[in-house]
Amino acid sequence: MQAREVLVTGYGLVAPTALDAASLFTTISKKRSCIRQHPAFVELGFANPAAGFVDEQQWQVIAAAFPGDLQTTSRQEWLAHYVACQALAHAGLADGAFARIASGIFVGANKHCVSGDLRDASRYMDDQGRVDLDQYLDNHTLSGGAFARRVDQQTRHLAEWLGVRDHISTHSDACAAGTMAIGSAYRAIARGEIDLALCGAVELMAHELSYYSFDGLGALCQRVDFSPQEQSRPFMPDRCGFVLSEGAALLVLESREHAERRQARPLGRVLGYANLCEAEKITSSSRDGSKYAACMAAALTDAGLASAAVDHVNVHGTSTQANDRCEALGLAQVFGETIEQMTFTANKSAVGHSLAGSGAIEAVLSLMSIQLGVALPTLNFQPEKSQFPELKFLCEPLQQPINVVLSNSFGFGGVNSSLVLGRA
Amino acid sequence: MTRSNSTAVYITAASVLNAAGTECVSRDSQPQTALPLDFDTARLAHCVTAPALPAGVYDRKLSRSLEPQGARLLYCAGRLAETLRRLELPDERIALTAAIPEVDGPSSCWDAVQAIGEQPADLLAQFFAHTPPLHALMMLNSSVMAHAAEALHCKGPMGGFCSQGNAGLDALMEAAAHLSEGRADAAVVVSSSPNITPALYLRDVTHPPVNPGPWIFGEGAAALLLSTGPAKGAQSALRIAGFARGYSAQPERGVAVGRDVIERALSNEKLCLSDVGQVVADGQDPQIAALFTSAGHALEHSKALVGDLGTSALLTEIAATWALDSSPYTLLLEHSRGGHWGAVLLARALLDRETMESYP
Repeated sequence: MQAREVLVTGYGLVAPTALDAASLFTTISKKRSCIRQHPAFVELGFANPAAGFVDEQQWQVIAAAFPGDLQTTSRQEWLAHYVACQALAHAGLADGAFARIASGIFVGANKHCVSGDLRDASRYMDDQGRVDLDQYLDNHTLSGGAFARRVDQQTRHLAEWLGVRDHISTHSDACAAGTMAIGSAYRAIARGEIDLALCGAVELMAHELSYYSFDGLGALCQRVDFSPQEQSRPFMPDRCGFVLSEGAALLVLESREHAERRQARPLGRVLGYANLCEAEKITSSSRDGSKYAACMAAALTDAGLASAAVDHVNVHGTSTQANDRCEALGLAQVFGETIEQMTFTANKSAVGHSLAGSGAIEAVLSLMSIQLGVALPTLNFQPEKSQFPELKFLCEPLQQPINVVLSNSFGFGGVNSSLVLGRA
Repeated sequence: MTRSNSTAVYITAASVLNAAGTECVSRDSQPQTALPLDFDTARLAHCVTAPALPAGVYDRKLSRSLEPQGARLLYCAGRLAETLRRLELPDERIALTAAIPEVDGPSSCWDAVQAIGEQPADLLAQFFAHTPPLHALMMLNSSVMAHAAEALHCKGPMGGFCSQGNAGLDALMEAAAHLSEGRADAAVVVSSSPNITPALYLRDVTHPPVNPGPWIFGEGAAALLLSTGPAKGAQSALRIAGFARGYSAQPERGVAVGRDVIERALSNEKLCLSDVGQVVADGQDPQIAALFTSAGHALEHSKALVGDLGTSALLTEIAATWALDSSPYTLLLEHSRGGHWGAVLLARALLDRETMESYP
């Protein structure tokens, strides 16, 4: 039985320095970076305070648009709401649309917790390690409580607000969670479980605890001789780790039947998806790129496409030595000689690595590339010095017809996922 | 994406760990006594000690870097390793899905919290001093999944789900879809309850549950092995015959959503509720009770034995259904604290010798 076609009819996005998708696309097209010195990291005295972060000016706009009580809700919920409003408006959907038909919410996220939470909780712990929960709870507003935030709070907020009654999922697959949320929504629509989905990721991890954790793994760039804007340099020989970032993107997916019934304007299609478990090693991939290749090939098989059909690849491209090398090897295995006819982009060069958020943000940018016929440049990329010259990353935006994009997300722990996007 | 003809999916092995032990016990067993918590003696819970991992399955050093939630999950997954190995499947045909609540939660940060309390002016230094360097990896659900995948050679499709209520059902449905749509021939489905820490109680207040109940929390984990044929040599086969999920944040809509979920779970087999011999559901939940007022079913559930296992509750009940005698049709119904509804229909059939020999 042939599965149903899945269309993209809307999207919304917030990234560091950008309050919508068009702004981010323009920023990258103009070769401007979203990465800056994080004031909190400067204040804490971190040796390298570079990060992508949603700043206070952006938060003022996001908070002002939130219809609920800011005292009793979290920033994740405000951000999810803001981005969802954009996506629904873009798709021409009213809030009530999700309550009227079989629908779902699929959100990728990781846990947010900052050091202030720990200090707050410590005030209610005695010298035996017991926490006076009742006293603690008596003294805190709902939003201010330590550990008050849950990984699924934004999913829950969206589900309640939109009246979704069928499928509510929170994906927590590290850096692949956003792509996996989109992939799960695609499959649920394709197999006929639901007709309409809001999917993507909401990630706020550009804080000191994440920084400490990832730095402890040696995963963050610590080259302070590079400016913040120069630190994320995927596929360059002198790449030395990723730059922590954050952001959110949500897409509206619909069955073609549903979209046509309401005369929605399709922006693109999800053609295929695969998620495979690598199980090689926690923080590094199969050294020969074969597992990444298997994931990309499986996504193309799911889409029913030969590798030659792909015009453009939005790579995972974290700017770590191991990931980029494995991805380059994997790409070579999948695309062979056709690789020279393709273009590539690494959005993390401009945005940083927003973990769960990255796959969703990159899916939106990929769809825009298809719509606008523009391949985005990769910042800090110098072709003459490239370690992988067969991969045609661009230094300038390039106007070209783009029919099919492959977008990769590879997470810690061997969580590999690839999404195939195309014209509607 | 093409959809295959619906391949049957069977539960061929299961393992559990909870306050009732490491074997499935009858749901009418003598309830365990919930005990006061170390960090708040006024509260009771069914806690378990993190177990030693099964010998010969994992790297010996792994136990040192596991937080309890991951340890419980890996313990259960590891107990399926031998059965999975005997299936002799290529690694790429084995899927792995997991339901792990609050994986990035600060449950292992409490030492740091205490240290910060003693020296609040030195917050970050205390945090760093009391948090392992590999904290990020220890707490990522993908890390736990990677350990399971490496040990059990799962290199097929995978997916991790993280929410307090319905993640177990999400993981089960995802795994079953991989099998029925031809992407895998077997799947390991694992789940763990949340760690019982102050954070668990704090979250309940900051985000009041839609379905709060008077439940006592428990700790536990469960793992299932799904395959496209019955277990070799088994006297009977337990097949996943249907499932459905739903959600309502509004209590007044809850019963309607629950009824719809049941109907959808039964629809594949063209059954009505009276055809179901056994219902596993918590009759103490008033909305669940309202759904069964006229059907004449005696509802049974393990919550009194093991506590509310949250994300791991469903797989624990499925494991018990697999291990114990069950009716030709068993309906398992869940109503989470967050308002999620989930129903799974299991069909048990006796296998004759000829049928058993027809499976490799």
